[in-house]
Amino acid sequence: MNGLPLFPTTTVGSFPKPPYLLEARRKRLRGQIEPEQLRQLEEQATREWIQRQEELGLDVFVDGEMYRGDMVAYFADEMEGFAIAGLVRSYGNRYYPKPVVVGPVGRRRPITVEWFRFAQSLTGKPVKGMLTGPYTIAEWSFNEYYPTRRELVLELARAIHEEAVDLERAGARFIQIDEPAIHTRPDEDFDLAREAMEIVTDGLSAYTITHVCYGDVPRIYPRMLDLPVHQIDLALKNEDFALLEVFRQHRFTKDIGLGVIDAHSHRVETAEEVLDGIRRSLEVFEPRQVYVSPDCGLKTRTIDETVGKLAAMVEGARRAREELGAG
Amino acid sequence: MRTTHVGSYPKIPDLPAPGRWRTAAEKLQRGEITREEFRRVEDEVTREAIADQVGAGLDMVTDGQIRWEDPQTYFARRMDGFSIDGLQRWFDTNVYYRQPVAQGRVAWREPVTVEDYRFARSHSPRPVRPVVTGPYTLARLSQNRYYPRFSDFVLDVAQALNRELRALDAESPPLIQVDEPAILQHKEDLALFREAAAALLEGVRAPVALYTYFGDARGVVRVFYELPVEVVGLDFVAGVRNWEVLESEGFPQDRRLGFGVVDARNTRLETVDEVLRALDRVSRFVPLDRVDLGPTAGLEFLPRRAAKAKLVRIAEVKRAALEVTR
Repeated sequence: MNGLPLFPTTTVGSFPKPPYLLEARRKRLRGQIEPEQLRQLEEQATREWIQRQEELGLDVFVDGEMYRGDMVAYFADEMEGFAIAGLVRSYGNRYYPKPVVVGPVGRRRPITVEWFRFAQSLTGKPVKGMLTGPYTIAEWSFNEYYPTRRELVLELARAIHEEAVDLERAGARFIQIDEPAIHTRPDEDFDLAREAMEIVTDGLSAYTITHVCYGDVPRIYPRMLDLPVHQIDLALKNEDFALLEVFRQHRFTKDIGLGVIDAHSHRVETAEEVLDGIRRSLEVFEPRQVYVSPDCGLKTRTIDETVGKLAAMVEGARRAREELGAG
Repeated sequence: MRTTHVGSYPKIPDLPAPGRWRTAAEKLQRGEITREEFRRVEDEVTREAIADQVGAGLDMVTDGQIRWEDPQTYFARRMDGFSIDGLQRWFDTNVYYRQPVAQGRVAWREPVTVEDYRFARSHSPRPVRPVVTGPYTLARLSQNRYYPRFSDFVLDVAQALNRELRALDAESPPLIQVDEPAILQHKEDLALFREAAAALLEGVRAPVALYTYFGDARGVVRVFYELPVEVVGLDFVAGVRNWEVLESEGFPQDRRLGFGVVDARNTRLETVDEVLRALDRVSRFVPLDRVDLGPTAGLEFLPRRAAKAKLVRIAEVKRAALEVTR
């Protein structure tokens, strides 16, 4: 499907920002440079990542999110109804700007479409439209406005749906809706998260993906297979493919975005290791179900680590194709 | 009624004020300052956290847990038998902790909290409650690669933490708070929890507060009531069904209730009236002179301005409640 090879290679969304862009973002915060100057550097960094993806030989591209800080705050900043409450610690000395819902939420205008167009204009390979899902935006924000989480989540779902429709109109053939918080309250809220995803993907003809990580995936399996998307992208590598046991019990009926690269370790994996991960996964998946990707966004790695990891990933996928005579 | 904080406090102020702790932590990582210099920054930030709590008007404070990376690592890294592994989500929050791994027999090596308690006490005009992560929670959030049975693991952690409580006890604190949120997610382990709690409290003379949060205590509260603790702390926001617990199980006459009713996880500031109504409701089960009014949990989920506003509100509610009853 989609003119892609067996085991298409892709990434989860974010890439590390080059030092000149980090510096420019700091200067912009202090008002030392103009928005237009920052924008030019964001475009330059995006071009560099498109070029690197071409050189690496990936099959489905991302724009690398050079213009986003945090995956939730970015959408909050661009939408009505949000303010930034302040910095909150997530672990160690990592802090993130946590949004707060202070009024009715909704889109002012398309959020990601212009960046999608820009990135897609630079390559003949398909670029994924990248969205943060409504449940995750709601869960990772404070809420001072809506009486219930449900009302907030469903209103956000309608806004993200509009964004997905606009991405599709702009030519996106792949749309990814990240829901890393989806298993936060697996019993209480999974149905709500599913209902929200139904709203987001309603009527789309693009190939849809959701990315889920960091949490208790077995608790929402096999219910997770009811999510109305074509592919579920999961982190397998960081727990040494332990999830495969779960999928052995109950067949995985969607395409799988197979995380074969640990996004949070400095160590660069070998192609052999990637090949081994793919082989092991073929004990529970059909080859045509498998897309090959890292566990998570790579923005916390260095550029060298990222390129090294992705080179190993692409080579591992190539060898896996070869083994099946599909090279 | 007593007003109290029950845990962590944001380590950095709101922008644009410089986050000294954060800058120092980065410098420590890069080897640009020494451990000793970093400790002095932690000292200063601890004093800030205490000053904010005292300034808000609380009757009892914590040290803000400024020196804690997270409630697991802070203890596990100074006990025998643990190594520290990768990041895991802490309950249903968007906060992560480094997971301790039991690689060998777990044992107490040295006091973890005692120096911190002494420091906080000497810099606070109000009584300070030291906080210790409970054995069930510490074991449950760890990986076990050593013990054939989880219960053996929990009981060894309980023995080790009993040494910690005894070391604190020697300082005669007004109260020692033990946090056991994990039992609310694993009620099937209640018998093991009870056994671990008994081992933990063995020979401890200081009054103890058992705190739970992020859920309700349906089905387990009776065991909390039976333990030799002075305070039972419950979260009435994430655990809104704790109201049903009070309805069905009542509250023992010889215990205090840690009444967590100001939401530690949302910036929305409760109104004075809203909390007064909650106090009125809880007074049907517990007389107000046996209520410890506080946030539902530690306040590091909030930016500092919002955290401070919550503490100020708690003290305001107490003043308003006294006027009503006067």
